[in-house]
Amino acid sequence: MADKMVLVVDDSRVARMMTRAAIAKLHPTWPIIEAASGEEALTAIALDRPDYVLLDVNMPGIGGMETARQLRSRCPAAVISLLTANIQDPVRHQAGEIGVGFMAKPLKDEALAQFLASELNPS
Amino acid sequence: MTDILGDSERDAVTEILNVAIGQAAASLSQLVEDEVALSVPFVEFLSPVTAATRLDEATGRLDSVAVRQRFQSSFSGDILLIFPENKSLDLVRSLLGTALPLDSLTELEQEALLEIGNIILNACLGSLANQLGISIESSLPAYVRGRGARILDSKHPDTELVMFLQVDFALTAKGVQGYLAFVMDIASARHFSAAVGEYVTRIMAG
Repeated sequence: MADKMVLVVDDSRVARMMTRAAIAKLHPTWPIIEAASGEEALTAIALDRPDYVLLDVNMPGIGGMETARQLRSRCPAAVISLLTANIQDPVRHQAGEIGVGFMAKPLKDEALAQFLASELNPS
Repeated sequence: MTDILGDSERDAVTEILNVAIGQAAASLSQLVEDEVALSVPFVEFLSPVTAATRLDEATGRLDSVAVRQRFQSSFSGDILLIFPENKSLDLVRSLLGTALPLDSLTELEQEALLEIGNIILNACLGSLANQLGISIESSLPAYVRGRGARILDSKHPDTELVMFLQVDFALTAKGVQGYLAFVMDIASARHFSAAVGEYVTRIMAG
């Protein structure tokens, strides 16, 4: 499998560190870029085209849900999932409506492996 | 104070919170790869001063570090995750592994505790919301350090009673103890109890 690029969006540096470590364990050669906010993520995609995006929800600024909406339309080929501690059912439902996945924190290795094995959307 | 909630209402409220705390404990256990032992939760109505004293007694009257989130639905309040200050670094080490040098661990301590709090407190609030079939908004987590009164941050310490629930938990292998606390004012506690009552009625009706 060719190397893919992963974008990790989380306002917590520790959360980004943990997610990065989990991705690197599965795919040591894949490039991983980070953003500390939704705004940073939207800037990052102007420079890089991530194949996979993991996105926190409760963040200062525009927050994860609005970021997901904008990323969904601006990166139609990318596979996007929320990665959030907010496990409330309405958050899962909104993710489905936007067309992004949902993963609960703490991140489980199996769930991450399954997400990173998802086929990219045809562009 | 027993007339604020009747016995059956108090029992229902405790049970719903018990399930939510169980969800939080499961998340913590997964995060630090250790078994989490929980005390039995018990809801009390206390003055903020007494609640702070209760917390100080549990923490040996030493400074603690806490992550606090305010939550809002038809009821509102604070949910807190509290650790003795001298144990918080052990917890961060459990989360990030032992490979990091001590100065990096110390630098990351506050951010790591905020992320632990974010996961644990949202697991609890999320379970509560999902059980009751409601939506609960919560603030971003805030980091607090100090004794009970500062951590609980009572707005009117001399007048209001608060619904206070404290659960002691222990990470058995790592020797780390901590506390999870819910604080609501009386009006919110009544709204919360009403939401719980509606939920119980729905369940009983099948």
